[in-house]
Amino acid sequence: MQHLFFGNIEEKYNFAKNTIMAKITENTRNEVRETVFAFFAEECEADKSQIKDSTNIIKDLDGDSLMFLELIEIFKKKYNLDIELKTIGKYAVKHPVETIGQLIEMQLLIIEHENRLLELDK
Amino acid sequence: MAEDRPAFVFPAFISDYREDPARDIPAFNDVFQSFLKTAAACTYEELLSFNPVSNPLIENELLNQYLSYIYGCSCARVLLNSGVIPGMMAGYSMGIYAALFIAGSISFETGMLFIQKAYGAIRNTLPHHHYGMCGVIGLSEKDIREIVLNSNLNLMIVNRNSEFSFILAGDSFHINVFILKAREEGALHARSLGVTIPYHTNNLTEAADEFSETVFTADVHSPVIPVISVLNQRRIDSVDCIREEVVKNIHTPFNWLATQKEMFSQGIGIFTECGPSMALYKNSKFISGSGKFVKWDSLFKK
Repeated sequence: MQHLFFGNIEEKYNFAKNTIMAKITENTRNEVRETVFAFFAEECEADKSQIKDSTNIIKDLDGDSLMFLELIEIFKKKYNLDIELKTIGKYAVKHPVETIGQLIEMQLLIIEHENRLLELDK
Repeated sequence: MAEDRPAFVFPAFISDYREDPARDIPAFNDVFQSFLKTAAACTYEELLSFNPVSNPLIENELLNQYLSYIYGCSCARVLLNSGVIPGMMAGYSMGIYAALFIAGSISFETGMLFIQKAYGAIRNTLPHHHYGMCGVIGLSEKDIREIVLNSNLNLMIVNRNSEFSFILAGDSFHINVFILKAREEGALHARSLGVTIPYHTNNLTEAADEFSETVFTADVHSPVIPVISVLNQRRIDSVDCIREEVVKNIHTPFNWLATQKEMFSQGIGIFTECGPSMALYKNSKFISGSGKFVKWDSLFKK
């Protein structure tokens, strides 16, 4: 069994990284929310005040998968996330995102669980 | 020098019409209508019935290509007329014809002729009509090759748009199987492009041979504005290079990611998509260090 206090630094780092989930604070939640709203307001040339949790990304904002990908890249950089796109894709097949609110919740799960996202379904 | 000037990039197909540029640039409509009349006279009169809202003509593959060409030439001509001179240009797939026209290498009519003859040669030589293309986002090239290999699919990767965005072409049934498998593998997006020709694959080698008869007898000149090859990222700087590029473009895979990076490395800081949609504009966001992409009408100098 692996132990945090044995092995080299890299092993310890990886062990810690794989064991400890990011904690979603109120601050993180607000930050993600603000980023998502600002992103879609700019990309879709929409009035930010008109975007709600219930806003449908495709029907109401004319959004697309490239925007989704761009948003993922923004959060990957911002939070230094270790997650493969295909992991998100596999998760999204079982948990499709249609609204802004659902998208925010998924981004929070991605930040929290990173490459272990699919384990949520086990 | 090139670094002070934008790059004009030309799409091959129209997916939608963003908005009417004539609203802010009245000169656009005059140029567009003039090209449309010329195009209708040398190909299909039906082009004159075009309307971006009521009759967008994007369902028909050939008419779509004509309109993409006409639209691209119009955007670029309006910019040139207003004093915006590109430092470099590139054509995405069949967008090469508009780039060559603006570069002064071929006439507008020759561009129309190339589209017509290429399409005709493809239809004459393809053994059947069951072909297609698809776009996939979110998988790596390795993932895609594994799906193709493991499922024994007769498909080729024909373009790399960005690190995680690819275009495939081949048999339409295999395209549909690939789309299902790609989604299972975690692709964020995988869908058919709605075309029935496997552009940039070796299925079109015979068509390219037939098409070359038109290309090698056409009036072609060296470009006065640099045009970058999407096939090998070199400058297309001579008549021979142009002819070779136009013919090979039919049946050879290309690399848009490398093309845009090459233009960036040569000092291009601003890119603009000469067309009605924003597909290249959107894609550029995933190419690191590829400069700033702006809407073509924002470059217009009143």
